[in-house]
Amino acid sequence: MTTDSKELADVSGREEVRGLLAGGLTTEVQPRADTHEEVTQIVARLRAAGGDLKAKLVIAGFTLEPIEHSGIEEACETCMYYVVHRRFCELPELNLPVEPQWSCRLWRI
Amino acid sequence: MANLLWLQGGACSGNTMSFLNAEEPSVCDLVTDFGINVLWHPSLGLELGENLQKMLRALTSGQLPLDIFVFEGTVVNAPNGTGEWNRFAGRPMRDWVHDLSKVANFVVAIGDCATWGGIPATAPNPSESQGLQFLKRSQGGFLGKDYKSKAGLPVINVPGCPAHPDWITQIVVAVATGRAGDLALDEFQRPKTFFTSFTQTGCTRNMHFAYKVSATEFGQRKGCLFYDLGCRGPMTHSPCNRILWNRQSSKTRSGMPCLGCTEPEFPFFDLAPGTVFKTQTVMGVPKDMPAGVDKTGYIKLTAAAKAASPRWAEEDIFVV
Repeated sequence: MTTDSKELADVSGREEVRGLLAGGLTTEVQPRADTHEEVTQIVARLRAAGGDLKAKLVIAGFTLEPIEHSGIEEACETCMYYVVHRRFCELPELNLPVEPQWSCRLWRI
Repeated sequence: MANLLWLQGGACSGNTMSFLNAEEPSVCDLVTDFGINVLWHPSLGLELGENLQKMLRALTSGQLPLDIFVFEGTVVNAPNGTGEWNRFAGRPMRDWVHDLSKVANFVVAIGDCATWGGIPATAPNPSESQGLQFLKRSQGGFLGKDYKSKAGLPVINVPGCPAHPDWITQIVVAVATGRAGDLALDEFQRPKTFFTSFTQTGCTRNMHFAYKVSATEFGQRKGCLFYDLGCRGPMTHSPCNRILWNRQSSKTRSGMPCLGCTEPEFPFFDLAPGTVFKTQTVMGVPKDMPAGVDKTGYIKLTAAAKAASPRWAEEDIFVV
């Protein structure tokens, strides 16, 4: 995939996610993945979901705005899986374009 | 001529393999250039059976001077403190260690097992293993915390799983050539010259660490291994990225997380499932921070670093 086609795919992918979330898709925002065991369970469910975008958003608990948890604002832009310039989530089980102010419960710093 | 004796307790011989690979100086250099007389070594020693026992008795009686006693592996005390599970030359190895440590000018513990117990001493520690002067982080070990060799030094600890070949030979040469007094030891009796800087010091991924770009797979050249893959480079004291392995690389350079094997707690989290090669977090924040960094500072730093991250930091800059 060329850089241009990757960017185009990211733009449309981002729009699709935004559309789903803005359209009222209910996601599992809580409980947040506080422990290693919780992270492992959620990641295992994501693996099982494969490429199903809707299922990935639900399981990961995506939101269009940052969630504050235990005094920390958990936004994509500070997550270690976030690729700043591409605006992309590199967690292999998610692997999708995002926005800096979005959030999910697998956030880690 | 300095007499050196090398014995192995509860060991896998990994440190012997490492020692035999030394280059600066090599094992041959120890003999030919630095006047070290290797009395016996498990892989090199010529004496067997009764002859070996005679030599060991000559050492423990003081008839034959012992300048450097090198020990590899744990001191095995099982079963029930007898040490019978690890017999050598007609008696428990622990008894030889006890007697030889009394007459040695210097005692050098090589590798994690000899220094703090390493993998054999991991709970539930069925072999009742101890390091020579530590059990994990607790000072004491088999010889006790007050032990001093005849030269007045505690056990010199050269940890690692295994220890780097050149750490071993350079320390042996320093001792054999009368420069032991120049060896400053840290709180875990490790030579400061090797164990003050961090594994991260000199890591080729430091730019990715700085800009918080994570590696997500082993062998990936882009990204830092600390954030997701459990790398302990920022909190482990070793010169693995200053004194390279095979003169050309290191674990982190080749995309393999540092396991922290020069620290007393190794293996961390008692090897519980899911704890190896995975950064442990609590509420999304690493449980173990880079040395000296607190949680608040880490969060602030991450936000600033991500915001300042240049585009190139997200790309593979090590182009073949």
